[in-house]
Amino acid sequence: MLPLSNILIWSLAGVLFGAAISWIPGFHIFNIMALLVAVFGVGELIPVQAFPFFAVGAIVAYAYVSAISSVYFSVADESAVFLLFPTQRYLLLGRGHEAVLLYLIGAVAGTLVLVLGALFIFPKVLPPIYQATSPYITYFLVAIVLFMFMSEWPKEGDRGKTPLQRLWLAWRQILGGILVFFLSGILGFAVMNTNLLPTTSAYTRLTPMFIGFFGMSWVLLNILSNPPMLPQKLDDKVESSVYNTLKATFGGALGGTIAAVYPIITGGMGALVAGHITSQRGDDAFIISQGVNRVIYYVGAFTLLFLPNLRLTRGAAAWLVSSVYTPKSYAEYLAAIGVILLSAGISFLFTYYLSKLIARSFTVVHIRKLSYIVAVVLVVISYVLTGPMGVVVLFVSTAIGMMAAAFNTRRSYCLGGLVLPVLISMTGHTGEVMHLLGLG
Amino acid sequence: MRGFTHYISGLAAATFFPSLVADLRMGILLPVIAAAAAYFPDFMDFKFGKFFARRDYEIDPAPWDEKKHYAPKLVKIGELGEKNRYQFFAIEGKVEEILTRGSGTVTYTILNEKGEQETVEEEYNSIVFVLNDGTGKITVEAVGDDYKFFEEEFGQIEEGKEILVFGYVDVDEVEGGLRFVVSDAPHPQGIADTIARAIEEAYREGERIVKIHNIRLPGDVYRQFFVHLDPPKREVRVEMGPIVTPGGVAITDKPPEYRRYGIAKVNVPFIKTYPKPTRIDSFSGPEIAFRRAEFKGKTVVKDRFLPWHHGFSHSLTMGVIIGAFVYAIFKLLGYSHAGDLALASMIGQWLHVFEDQLGFMGSNLFPPITKDVIPGFKLGESGSGLTNFSTAWLMIAFMIWNFNRFTDPRPIPISDVKLLLLLIWPSIIGFGIAIVRSFKLRKEIAELMDYYTNIEAFEELEEVGGI
Repeated sequence: MLPLSNILIWSLAGVLFGAAISWIPGFHIFNIMALLVAVFGVGELIPVQAFPFFAVGAIVAYAYVSAISSVYFSVADESAVFLLFPTQRYLLLGRGHEAVLLYLIGAVAGTLVLVLGALFIFPKVLPPIYQATSPYITYFLVAIVLFMFMSEWPKEGDRGKTPLQRLWLAWRQILGGILVFFLSGILGFAVMNTNLLPTTSAYTRLTPMFIGFFGMSWVLLNILSNPPMLPQKLDDKVESSVYNTLKATFGGALGGTIAAVYPIITGGMGALVAGHITSQRGDDAFIISQGVNRVIYYVGAFTLLFLPNLRLTRGAAAWLVSSVYTPKSYAEYLAAIGVILLSAGISFLFTYYLSKLIARSFTVVHIRKLSYIVAVVLVVISYVLTGPMGVVVLFVSTAIGMMAAAFNTRRSYCLGGLVLPVLISMTGHTGEVMHLLGLG
Repeated sequence: MRGFTHYISGLAAATFFPSLVADLRMGILLPVIAAAAAYFPDFMDFKFGKFFARRDYEIDPAPWDEKKHYAPKLVKIGELGEKNRYQFFAIEGKVEEILTRGSGTVTYTILNEKGEQETVEEEYNSIVFVLNDGTGKITVEAVGDDYKFFEEEFGQIEEGKEILVFGYVDVDEVEGGLRFVVSDAPHPQGIADTIARAIEEAYREGERIVKIHNIRLPGDVYRQFFVHLDPPKREVRVEMGPIVTPGGVAITDKPPEYRRYGIAKVNVPFIKTYPKPTRIDSFSGPEIAFRRAEFKGKTVVKDRFLPWHHGFSHSLTMGVIIGAFVYAIFKLLGYSHAGDLALASMIGQWLHVFEDQLGFMGSNLFPPITKDVIPGFKLGESGSGLTNFSTAWLMIAFMIWNFNRFTDPRPIPISDVKLLLLLIWPSIIGFGIAIVRSFKLRKEIAELMDYYTNIEAFEELEEVGGI
C-alpha cells in the first residue's frame, strides 16, 4: 500500500479536481475522469496505486458539489409546462441556497451512514446477501423497469372532455415514456454491439450517449427556455424537521444501497423504489433523500471495489480504476473510508461557500451564456473520447433526452440505453436482436 | 398501500415456488408476471377506470390555459357568463371608465378556529372600473388586500390604460350583470354550492358523482383547498388554503378571510364515511360519489371517495380471474410452469387486496356474491411509511429467504427459521408499532365518526328552532 502521506495528497488532489468540475451543468465526474485517463493516461500523471484514492476524492466531491449544478443551473422557465423538480421550485422561490443546504444535510447523513455501514455492516452482511441474490439480478432489473412503466402517473388525463380523450391524454405520456425507453435501448444496443464507435474507446464508448441523454439535453433546455434569474436569499436556514430528515435519510440510504450493490440499477431507480417503500412526501424530505442517495450510490458503489471479501465493480469509475489497479488489502479499504470522511468535510465546505457565492451573484451572468460554453465543451469531450461518430451518437441521444422532456415523462427512461442492451445480453438474445435490427 | 409495496409482494409471491425460482436462475423472467398481477388492481383503476368514470358534476374552480396547462386561463370578456361564477380567470383589456375609488366597510362571514361561522366587519380601500376588451365590457373590482396588490402592480389606474388582471367572476345580485373581482384564487362558494346541490340530487335520484379539479398555477405549484362535509350542521364548507408545492410545502399565506370560505347549506340528511376533510392540491383532484343509503333506519346520503377505486379490480374474485387468465395464456404458449405462475399471480393479486384491507377504505371482497365494501382494519393510512416499509421489508426478507433455501448449496448456511427471524425482525417491530398506534387511531376515528354520522343532531336543532 502507498504511504499514508501519498494517499492524503492524491485524495486531496481528487477532491480538488472533482470540486472544480462538478458544479458545471452537464459535466459528470465519470466522463471527465475518462477524459483525463484518455488524454494523459495513468502511471505517468498519477501512480497507479494512488489512482483509486484520487478517484474516491473526486467522486465524493462530485456527490456533494453537483448539488450546485442541479439547484442553480437547472433553472426552469416559470411558464414551462413540464413538471419541475423540487430544487427548481426552490430556485424559483429564491430559496436555492436553502435547497443546497437541505441537500448537504442529506449528503452528510449519507456519508455517516456509508462510513458506519462500511465499517460495521458491509463486510459481514453484504457478501452472503449478495451471494444469495446475485443470480436473480435480471429479475430485479426487469421488475424495476416494468414497475416504472406501470406506475407512471398520468399527469394530464383529468381534463379531457370525453372518456376517450382523457384516456388518450393520459396514455400519450405513458406511451411516450415507453418510446423513449426503447429508442434509448436501440441506440445503446447499437453503441455496445457494433463498431459504430472505435473499439479503442473501450470504457468510454457509452460516454457520448449518456452526455446526450442527461447532460446535453439539460443544457439545451436551459438554452431554449427563458428562465428568470431571480435574486436568491442567503440565509442559512432550512424548513424541515428531525422526523423528515430521519425518514429521508432512511429512504435515501435504502435506495442508494440497492443502486450501489446491484449492477445497472441506478440511483434514480433505487430512489423510486425506496420512495415508495418508505412512503416519502415533502420537498424537503425529497431533497435530503437525494443527498443521502447520491452519496451512497456514487461513493458507496465505488467503495465496494475496496471491500476485500466482495470486491464488486460498480459504476463507470470503478471499471475505469479497476482497469488500472484494483485495491487488494483491508488496510486499503480502511484508508478509503478515512478518505471518504476527509473528502466529505472538504466537499461540504466547498459546496456551502460556493452556494453562497452563486446565490449572491446569481443575477450577474445568465444561465444561457454558461450553457452555450458547456454545450461546446460537451461536444469536444465526445469528440476527443470517441471521434466524429461519438458526436453523431451525442446528437441522437440528445434528441431522445429532449423527447423525454417533451412527453413530460421520466427522464430516467433514457436509462433504457444501458438497461435494454444489458437485459438482452443477460438473457442470451443479443444475436437475435442484432439480426432483427439488421446489424449482423 | 403504495404501489411498490403491492408490486414487491407479487415479486415475493413468485419466489415461494421452487420451479419459478429455478426458472429465474436460468434467465426465464416470466415470474415477474406475478408482480404485475399484484399491481394490476391499481393499474386498472388509475390508468383506465379513472378516465371512464361517470361525472355528473365537474367542478373546475380554475380552468387551465390550454397551451400552458395551468391557470388562470386568459379569456375574452364576451365568453364569460353566469356559468363561470366564482371561477378564476385572467382578462386583458382597456380601462374604459373608473366608477368609484375610495374606502368603506365590508362585512363577511368567516369560520373561526372552532369551525363556527362568525361575521367580520373590516375597513377597506377599493377601486371599481369598467374593462373593455373588444368582445365585451365587465365591471372590475379590487377590494381590501387585493386592492393593495392591485395598486402595487398597476399603480394609479387611468382611463385608457391597457391591463391584464386575474380574478374570479361574480354576479351582481342587485343589477344582475357580471363583475370581475381581482384575486389570486377562485372563490370557494362555487365549489360548496355544487357539492351541496349534488348531495340533494343524490337524495332524490339515488347517486351523483362529482369531479373536483385541482388548481394548478405557474411554476408547477397548486392552490390548496379543503372540502369539509359537516353532517350535523348539514353544511358543505370549502376553505381556500395557501399555494403549495407538489411536496406539500406552503409558499404563500392563505387568501384573505373575506374570500377564503364558501359555505352551502344542504337540505337533506347525509353522513360522511371518512373522518377527515378532503384536501385538494397537487397531482389531480378527486371524484366523490354521493349515494342514497339506509343508515340507522333513515334514508341518508353517504359519500364515497374515488368511487372508481377499490371496485371489482380489488376483489378476491378478480384474483381468481387473473390466475385463470395467466394459466390459459402461458399453458397455450407452452410454459411448463404455467400452473405455478398462475397461482403466484393469483396470490400476488390477493396480497394486494389484503394489504389494502389493512387501511381504511376496504373493498368488496367477493363480488358478485357480496355487494358491499367490507371496511378496512384501520391499521394505518395507505400512505403510512411505517406499514408500507414493514410490508415491503417483509417481502424483501421472504425473497432472500426463498432464494437461499431453494439454492444448493445454500449461500447463507444457517437454518431456515434462524435466517427468517434474522431477516424479518424490522418488519415485526414495524407492525408492532403500527398495531399499537392503530388503537389510538381507531379511538380517534370512532369519536370523529360519531360526529360525522350524527344525523340526529340536525334534527334536534330543527325541533328546538335552533336553525
